[in-house]
Amino acid sequence: MTQGTGIMMQQRAGRRTTWLLLLPVLVFLAVFFLVPLGQVLYFSVMDPTFTLHHYLAFFTDDFYWRVLFGTFRTTAIVTAFSLLLSYPLSYAIVRLGGGFATAMLLIVAMSFWTSFLVRTFAWMVILGNNGPLRAILATMGWTPPPELLFTRFSSTLAMVHLLVPFMVLALYSVMKKIDYTLVRAAISLGATPFEAFRRVFLPLSAPGIVNGCTLVFIMCLGFYVTPVLLGSPREQMIAGLIGTQIEEFLEFGEASATAVILLCVTMTVFAIYNRFVGLDKLWG
Amino acid sequence: MRIVIALALLSALFILGPLLIVVPMSFSTAKSFAFPPPDYWLGYYRAFFADIRWTQPVINSVLIALATMLLTMALVIPASFAMVRQRFLGRSAMNLLLMMPMIVPHIVMALGYYSYFGHLKIIHSPLGVVLAHTCLSVPVCYLIIAAALKGFDRNLERAAMNLGASPLRTFWEVTFPVLRPGFLVGGLFAFIHSFDEAVVAIFISGQAASTLPRKMFDSIRIEADPIVSVVSTLLFAAVLLAVLSPLLWRAISNTRRQVQSGTATA
Repeated sequence: MTQGTGIMMQQRAGRRTTWLLLLPVLVFLAVFFLVPLGQVLYFSVMDPTFTLHHYLAFFTDDFYWRVLFGTFRTTAIVTAFSLLLSYPLSYAIVRLGGGFATAMLLIVAMSFWTSFLVRTFAWMVILGNNGPLRAILATMGWTPPPELLFTRFSSTLAMVHLLVPFMVLALYSVMKKIDYTLVRAAISLGATPFEAFRRVFLPLSAPGIVNGCTLVFIMCLGFYVTPVLLGSPREQMIAGLIGTQIEEFLEFGEASATAVILLCVTMTVFAIYNRFVGLDKLWG
Repeated sequence: MRIVIALALLSALFILGPLLIVVPMSFSTAKSFAFPPPDYWLGYYRAFFADIRWTQPVINSVLIALATMLLTMALVIPASFAMVRQRFLGRSAMNLLLMMPMIVPHIVMALGYYSYFGHLKIIHSPLGVVLAHTCLSVPVCYLIIAAALKGFDRNLERAAMNLGASPLRTFWEVTFPVLRPGFLVGGLFAFIHSFDEAVVAIFISGQAASTLPRKMFDSIRIEADPIVSVVSTLLFAAVLLAVLSPLLWRAISNTRRQVQSGTATA
């Protein structure tokens, strides 16, 4: 019995230490993260008493529907193209290895660590009115060359460039663990190389595809900087819309409602991912 | 496979090409973003280093990132010990809270901080940016430090205690030195996260505490200032150095080892 109470006391002391260690971060995040986040929720339904008119305004206005739909479409396109560009690259890195893999991974790492603003600026130069791409199009006989900057095309292209490194790293980390002898076994049993790839390697790399697409989708959905700098002012994405509502119109109620809608969409994607895969797997 | 390699090389070109364009731009004499540059000079580098409207944001960014790094580590390291080593009621809720700042889009938090810090009278101040960046850096720092902690062999601690060391002495002489590299990497990630963070900084840092990303954003959006290309080149050069240095380091130590083994056999 004395031994029992001893263990209980030890457990209680252990529990106290546990919460003592957690207390600083808990208090900090409560005060400087949960309260401001809660304020956004609060302002979205209070004006100054409880109301849903910010949400009603959002969902009854064609303009907002177009922004929401446009954001989804851009995000889907960016995710698809990131995957299309990243899959062959990751596959080649894993299959060839050696110096080729080192060089390719270095290029990806270089892009990964370079600030979004630097890369957005680079696209501004490339797509600009006096930029190289329009000059090339002009020499190819497209005169006058089309306006590239401040269109949906420019922001979509730049976002693909910004997010491809995330996709490559997600794919690579799964692909490098695939046992290639399984593919060889399929070939030796009579499958063509393509058939072996499609029915063995591709399904085994699926977790990487799911992880990469989820990450890119989420990041693109709430993207602010690049669409604002490169995109068309008439075809904003939802994050840009929130920015305009704050900066130009000082409409905190509407901005909060829009932010809550973006938050709900993001959380839904995470919830689906969590349901089928488990959230702890997303960041490796 | 040849087609795959060709596609892979095309992707690599797409990833690398746009990064390189900022370098010649920074030496250009053009007054706007024209490419190819009409002529080359160093004028915009001189202008960058002489202009306090550019150097001040650099200093602000470094100081804010340093403060964020220290604060984040002070909060996350103790919490990681509890999260990795203990099983307790509320652990999964705590885990969710620690990861939340990574899940919520930054623009949503920017809106929250804009009104909340305005209310607390710390908007447009470095303190506000540090507090916000610390929240946003907690998840990435936690992921890294928790991973380091999971890989730690607790038998080392048991051995030290068995030999008569107090828990505190065990921590300082065994646990901490072994985990120090993991802590440093976690801190480095918090630093970079803060240094690169743009969205929250755009809304809450103001003129007084303007960070470098905010200054770049304003400069690209409003004035099309060619100095942006100088800053971009310097940032890109820093990344290049950081990414390539492990490779160079390995090459140097390999040659040194070869030289040493050469002299040993001789």
